[in-house]
Amino acid sequence: MKWNLIRTKVLAALVACLIVGVGGILALMHYSFARNSQTLAAESVTGAQKLFTILEARETSKMTAVSETLMMNPQVRDAFAAKDRARLLELTSPLYPKLKSEGITNWMFHTPEPDMVVFLRLHNPAKFGDHLNRFMDKEVVRTHSMVIGNELAKAGFAVRILRPFYDSQGGVAGYVEFGEEIGQFIHAMKNQTGDDYGLLLSKKFVDRQFWADSSAVWKRRDNWDDNPDFVVADKTTATDKIIQFQGDLSSVPAQGTALEYFRDGNSVFVRGIFPIRDAAGNNVGAMFVVRDISSFYVAMRHTQNVLVLMTVVALTLGIILVLTLLSRLVFRRLEHIIAVATRVVGGDYETEIRVSSDDEVGQFEQLFEQFRRVFVELLTHVPEFQEKPELQEK
Amino acid sequence: MSQLYDLRVAIENKIKTDALDATDVKGKIGLRSGRILALISPHTPDDPVAVAKLRQAVKDVLNINL
Repeated sequence: MKWNLIRTKVLAALVACLIVGVGGILALMHYSFARNSQTLAAESVTGAQKLFTILEARETSKMTAVSETLMMNPQVRDAFAAKDRARLLELTSPLYPKLKSEGITNWMFHTPEPDMVVFLRLHNPAKFGDHLNRFMDKEVVRTHSMVIGNELAKAGFAVRILRPFYDSQGGVAGYVEFGEEIGQFIHAMKNQTGDDYGLLLSKKFVDRQFWADSSAVWKRRDNWDDNPDFVVADKTTATDKIIQFQGDLSSVPAQGTALEYFRDGNSVFVRGIFPIRDAAGNNVGAMFVVRDISSFYVAMRHTQNVLVLMTVVALTLGIILVLTLLSRLVFRRLEHIIAVATRVVGGDYETEIRVSSDDEVGQFEQLFEQFRRVFVELLTHVPEFQEKPELQEK
Repeated sequence: MSQLYDLRVAIENKIKTDALDATDVKGKIGLRSGRILALISPHTPDDPVAVAKLRQAVKDVLNINL
């Protein structure tokens, strides 16, 4: 390949255009995918957050309704007012399995202040008399009205309602509490959205020994050492592999944040995270959202391949067309002029240049033909030609 | 006899011997060397630069050293 030829330079320029075109498409598709995956991640976070809020509201409404119904039962009311634990257990224990099947896993009665100890745990009747001393306990004592919120306790991280329980005279006989494990929300969320979720708890708010004990109770692997700053309380996937977060849970913004996309084998995922606050407003944990966008990725790759193929075909056809036109309109005609010039210099004064068109090259052909005639005419006046006619070529 | 003329004769002999296209070969050599072979006569004065150019043109076109 001769680089001094116009043909080579034009070809090189067109091939460069082809490479830049394909590179541009690849870069554009990559940028588009990155932006779209970020949008999908943000949508997943927003959707999950809304769904979580809806589930929380629905479950607290359910627990509120149960507590209202319970307070209207005079036998329960009197047994609690009389602090007759055995009677209270007898009356309420048949109801607990039904509530548990509906997700209400925690049910407690508390004595009134100033002691405020656990009077009866329906989910663990043998254990009572302990102080919980949580934020919600203080709030319900302070306000004497229903307190709703998430609270970490020994039984786990749960959304709870805690409200005063009145005796027949309208005095506060104590408090009743219902709670649902937040961990079970994520399974309902997965059923609705198809996304995967992980409930993360900040280690700052979880006692190491409590975590070891509760892991034993729930027969789950003690995963305390898996991550430096948080523990995975529950998840919808069999593995923690896709739940990866390096930041500080307390710094996750209230509206949540989309994280980077990542690949695992042939699958592509986007991830996001939003905070979960306890009743006191602390960022005690976060919900990790993982959406499989493999089908979107495959569709994007297909579009990318089609675009690249179309660009390559279009530019290749363009290159062929441009080179064919240049060959016909310029190169061949220049080669003809060179051939005639060569023959004239070689002694063939009869060969004329054909003027094939009135375009730029045609004008040059015409000019060169006039020049050839002048040149031949000039040669006839050169003494060597006149004196040595045998040297003159045919 | 000049060196230039000797070269011209040698070229013409080579063309005859190898039955080459005379106008094409002479034209190419003429364009490369800047001399019209037909204008080189026995009395053409020698010019070392012109001789060297003609030899190089012969080398380029016919691939022979004269």
